[in-house]
Amino acid sequence: MIKIEKLSKSYGKKQVLKTIDLEFKKGKVYGVVGENGAGKTTLFRCISGLETYSGNVSSGFKKLKNHLGLLLAEPFFFSKITGKEYIQLLANTREIKLSKIEKKNIFDLPLNQYASTYSTGMKKKLALTAILLQENDVFILDEPFNGVDIQSNLIITEIIKRFKELEKTVIISSHIFSTLADTCDEIYLIKNGAIIKKVKQVDFNNLEMEMKEFTVGNRIDRLGLK
Amino acid sequence: MKEYFRLQFKMLNRRMIDFGLPLLIGYSLIPFVFILLSNYLFGNTEFAIYVYGLIAISFVSKLSEPKRNDFLKSIFNKDKYKKLRIIENLIYCLPFTLFLIYKNQFVFSTVLNLFVIIITLLNFSANISIPIPTPFSKRPFEFTVGFRKTFYVFPIAYFLTYISASIGNFNLGVFSMLLIGITCFSYYSKIENEYLVWNYNLSSKEFLLEKMKTCLINFSLLSLPIIITLGILFFNQIDILIVFILLCYAYLTTIIFAKYSSFPNEMNMSQGILITISFMFPPILLIFIPLFYSQSIKKINTVLND
Repeated sequence: MIKIEKLSKSYGKKQVLKTIDLEFKKGKVYGVVGENGAGKTTLFRCISGLETYSGNVSSGFKKLKNHLGLLLAEPFFFSKITGKEYIQLLANTREIKLSKIEKKNIFDLPLNQYASTYSTGMKKKLALTAILLQENDVFILDEPFNGVDIQSNLIITEIIKRFKELEKTVIISSHIFSTLADTCDEIYLIKNGAIIKKVKQVDFNNLEMEMKEFTVGNRIDRLGLK
Repeated sequence: MKEYFRLQFKMLNRRMIDFGLPLLIGYSLIPFVFILLSNYLFGNTEFAIYVYGLIAISFVSKLSEPKRNDFLKSIFNKDKYKKLRIIENLIYCLPFTLFLIYKNQFVFSTVLNLFVIIITLLNFSANISIPIPTPFSKRPFEFTVGFRKTFYVFPIAYFLTYISASIGNFNLGVFSMLLIGITCFSYYSKIENEYLVWNYNLSSKEFLLEKMKTCLINFSLLSLPIIITLGILFFNQIDILIVFILLCYAYLTTIIFAKYSSFPNEMNMSQGILITISFMFPPILLIFIPLFYSQSIKKINTVLND
């Protein structure tokens, strides 16, 4: 279990996360939704230890980061490294011995090509494959469905469901509500750095309606489209 | 187009400021250091003109990066794009041109400028997907990426060793080993994304030692043919050879520690100055290596949560 207590984060005078209290349990899938710039990525970076913060993040692990698979919204790749080497690199960092990488290439990626030549969706799939092979217990997936084709979307959804069966903890952010509704046990709505709503599975439909109302409202009318 | 060059100028200024170099000092210091290094090169080798040309071309070729050019093509029309690329290549080459003219190398400077213009006409593909084979594929990334970028250096270095063996010139052989050392040194000049460091299941100390171990082993493997050749053919100078090997190890260790001492940022001016000083006075490495090491440990701790 991951327990977040009074987590706050500021960049200079700007407070981007405001006293967040959350719990992520084993075998559950959690969604974090919010507008661009609401604080989702910063929250993920704080949990993973990539950012300093005030407050407390605790887990049952000695070091959470060593059991955490983090998929960044925009994964980083070197210019002259192949897909296979990228997977190997991330496995090496966790001292995992990998064999038959090609067999584990579930997204059929061209692993012997430079990763930097991949499309946005392929890069995302490569980064995801690499963290899947790290044998992690907790996964934070920042926008895993962004730029990914429909077939891979289905595969990712099934992977998340499998994680649940395997008692892993999964935290996802996505702008595609249907994918969250399909996979999550609970969804947290974040706005201006604060969690403003925690919604259980039974209320997902209401949340979607509420979000639509809240997000779209009369904005489009303001354009005065003719 | 005027706005483009104004923007480039702004970007250059920002880079200098980020590097910790005040603009006034930067604009006075850079030409001074450039002239100093150019003079040093021309004063120390008879092949200086060719080395100089290669340095100029490799410097200018950075502007030919495919993604950058695709972007420029998308915002400028064909004629403006060509004009712009020729102008910027000539501007980049200008310091080299001026120094060559100062050295009365008129023909060579003309050829160099023509070559620099021709480069702009070449259309490099952004999607070259056939990777260059590397012996370091299993242990990414510094040597995997670096080897692919500088693979041509190794045959040159081995060829120079062959010549040194043929003509009995020990110094040339040592130079070829140093060439490999400098090449490996360059693999550590840029800092990697913090996400890659964060992934390591190691303490800061273990992380640095792992990096150092990989670097020294890989450097030894690449220079092994040279070391063996020189060790056998110039056995009476093996002590000098060992000193140079140890110097290569020391400088490679220094660059690794210096690189992480400013993590997650790029190396700044103070590290640059200290490294330059160490090249002038190698014994000072005995102070700099522990200094960079302790700074690196502190910086990496923040990401490895040690």
